[in-house]
Amino acid sequence: MLASCGDGKSSGSGSGSGSKSEVIAIAADPLEYINPLNENGSPGIQVAMAMFAPLVTTDPETGKLQNVMADSVTPDKTSQTWTIKLKAGNTFQNGQPLTAKDYVDSWNMTAMGSNAWKNNGFFSKVDGYDALNPPTPDGATPKPTAVKTLSGLKQIDDLTFSVKLKVPFSQFGLTLQYLGLAPLPEEVRKNPDAYKRKPIGNGPFKLAADWNAGDDIKLAKWDGYKGSPVPQADEITYRFIPNADTAYNEFLAGNVDFVDVPSTKVKSFKTDAPDQWVTSISSGANYLVIPAWDPRFKNPKLRHAISEAIDRKAFADLVGLSEPAKGLVAPDMAGYRDNACKYCDFDATKAKQLLQEAGGFSGPLNINYNTTSATGQIFAEAIGNMLRQNLGLQVKYTGKQGSEITELADSHKLDGLRFSGWGHDYPSIEDYLTPMFKSNGDANFAQYSNPALDAVLAKGDAEPDPEKAIKLYQQAEDIALEDMPLIPLYTKSNAYLHSAKIEPRVSKYVGVSALWATFK
Amino acid sequence: MIRFILRRALAAVPIGVLVTLGVFALVFAMPGDPLRELAGDKPIPAAVLAAKRAQYHLDDPFIVQYLLSMKDILTGHFGTTFAGADIADQLRLRIPVTLKLTLLANAVQWTLGLFFGIYAGFKRNGWVDRSLLLVTLVLLAVPGLVAYFAAQYLFGVELKWFPVSGVLEGFPRSYVLPALVIGVLGFAGLARLLRTSIVETVNADFVKTARAKGLGEQRVLWRHILPNALLPVVTFIGLDLAGMFGGAIITESIFNLPGLGQFMFQAIKLKEGGVVVLLSTLAFISFILINLLIDLLYGVLDPRVRNV
Repeated sequence: MLASCGDGKSSGSGSGSGSKSEVIAIAADPLEYINPLNENGSPGIQVAMAMFAPLVTTDPETGKLQNVMADSVTPDKTSQTWTIKLKAGNTFQNGQPLTAKDYVDSWNMTAMGSNAWKNNGFFSKVDGYDALNPPTPDGATPKPTAVKTLSGLKQIDDLTFSVKLKVPFSQFGLTLQYLGLAPLPEEVRKNPDAYKRKPIGNGPFKLAADWNAGDDIKLAKWDGYKGSPVPQADEITYRFIPNADTAYNEFLAGNVDFVDVPSTKVKSFKTDAPDQWVTSISSGANYLVIPAWDPRFKNPKLRHAISEAIDRKAFADLVGLSEPAKGLVAPDMAGYRDNACKYCDFDATKAKQLLQEAGGFSGPLNINYNTTSATGQIFAEAIGNMLRQNLGLQVKYTGKQGSEITELADSHKLDGLRFSGWGHDYPSIEDYLTPMFKSNGDANFAQYSNPALDAVLAKGDAEPDPEKAIKLYQQAEDIALEDMPLIPLYTKSNAYLHSAKIEPRVSKYVGVSALWATFK
Repeated sequence: MIRFILRRALAAVPIGVLVTLGVFALVFAMPGDPLRELAGDKPIPAAVLAAKRAQYHLDDPFIVQYLLSMKDILTGHFGTTFAGADIADQLRLRIPVTLKLTLLANAVQWTLGLFFGIYAGFKRNGWVDRSLLLVTLVLLAVPGLVAYFAAQYLFGVELKWFPVSGVLEGFPRSYVLPALVIGVLGFAGLARLLRTSIVETVNADFVKTARAKGLGEQRVLWRHILPNALLPVVTFIGLDLAGMFGGAIITESIFNLPGLGQFMFQAIKLKEGGVVVLLSTLAFISFILINLLIDLLYGVLDPRVRNV
């Protein structure tokens, strides 16, 4: 706890010059375990990033993919089978060498549905996934299947393995930087529960002390890490402070070195901590979801009318730290076009005309908002007022819990519009278009389906040349914008505060990172 | 006395069943799927959902879920939360935190309440009495949330007298600030009640008789007035102690004290019926115990209501 007992304003230069330590606040409940394969929440992944090294990562300077644990990642001609060769000489923190078998066995464990690990879904693209995840009747407990391994996963030698996918997928190499694919060493694989609180990673940091329930997580640099580059910090403490405003106050008191700015402080953080803040474009898209099942919204012209009636600049100002959306993908993605959307510039006359051409709208338009979000109602009313004034629609509002809204939408019972958002798992515009717009996509909240779009996506997935693949995905974006199942609203920046002794890494490709901070 | 306690304990059983069933029904009726709440925006594969559902009995009908939860509670097999925490471990860690906070806060509240209440009662319409009325009105108007954050900012961030949050500095340092805020916010009601009660008692016939007998002022105060004036106050303290648990939800969240209140908040957020019922049962048992204690205290203070 070197950094937390600073009595100066912002723990300035620190006491000893030898040890570089930082305290990072995480506004969440304390973790219960560290296992990247069974973790998809951001607090858990954030800690795992320090303790586990991925196969590949995005270079923060160039945005290009670079190898970490992998020596090479090579697709075959069709992008359906991928061969991954590991660098020699890497080990786990228990000293065991890191081999292809560790990856293959860890991934098989995760792919087994009855283990109920959270990153199970990642492997649904791999050949043989269905055999490990047979459909379970409602109310039954999934049983371990007779088949224990993915047929698409093959170990070739000690350092090489191959992954055969169900269908060609040109972006698969990019997905390998996801930390949910980290390897577990054999002793952990034998009994994962016994290692819940003493994870054995292959990354730059290891646990510095015993970690008990409810404790902060203290990490120390692991000397055995041979990957590069290596973060500067010698010690990192992750402090869990569930209330985000309290975490912010802890920063102001000089007790933590890095904190996310909570939504309640978006207007005040620059004066609260002058010269100690950074922002980054957030990788995410925020939008309004049109219910595809409601015939009143069927006409694309009506959707365009709604889109044209929204003053995105004013709305982004209301949200704070935001920019009006100009397309369906986040602005930091390769393949982003700032003129993608033809219906996103505010034009009330055009909006009215489109509404007329669409034959008007019958009945009041309902806007659903999440009551657990502090800003849900305000945002709903802002959109509602724009639609009322610019289109002359009658508008009403319904507040519900987020999970209830999702459930109603899933069963086609939700009335009207709702807010939603999506952020990518790997930096490719494909990771916006596939989940959001492919028929039955993971985040296809509008339950939209257009065979033409699915076909273009499949073509992009099968295109080995990255430039050409992007062109195809852009075609998919164009189709989605014409049909407009989602109305783009804004992209939001994230803001962070940092103490004077560290300078967080800010990258236009991978955002802000305290783990990779520079020490002054 | 033993019979009285036994009778109370027996009466508590059906009430306990009603309370836990009611609480469980409320959590059950909350809209939304608990596992979806846990997952956030990310989709979960069907097989994973089914496995989790079976693990937490979420696929059973309401009454079966309730009975299974009660069975777990009564046999001491608390299991794990949705997030994977061992519930027995959590209780071991969290009960002391909430106890320390509650007891310290009550100590502050009672000390201030009794002192100002007695003083104002005897010096009626003096400046203490008048300012107490004013202070009461002001304190009752301040929302707890605002007071907690304001105190945290002023004494933690700006003046650095106390830690901002967390329990790293242990007892009592980590607990003083929240306990003081709770105590100060709560003492006024107690003081006003005691003051009024004393004023009423001072004018009662038996006090006049005591004075007429020529008893000293001190004896009249401590032996004749206070025991009688304290009766309603004891009731108030009993209810207040029981209500502390509810207040802990906000305080523990703002001051990041990992106690039962925070646990309750998480459980409600994630719709974990089992945990909510477990914590409600704990709260209920302590409520029954406190009330039993209060009833016995009555007997000590006032022989007329002694339960033999």
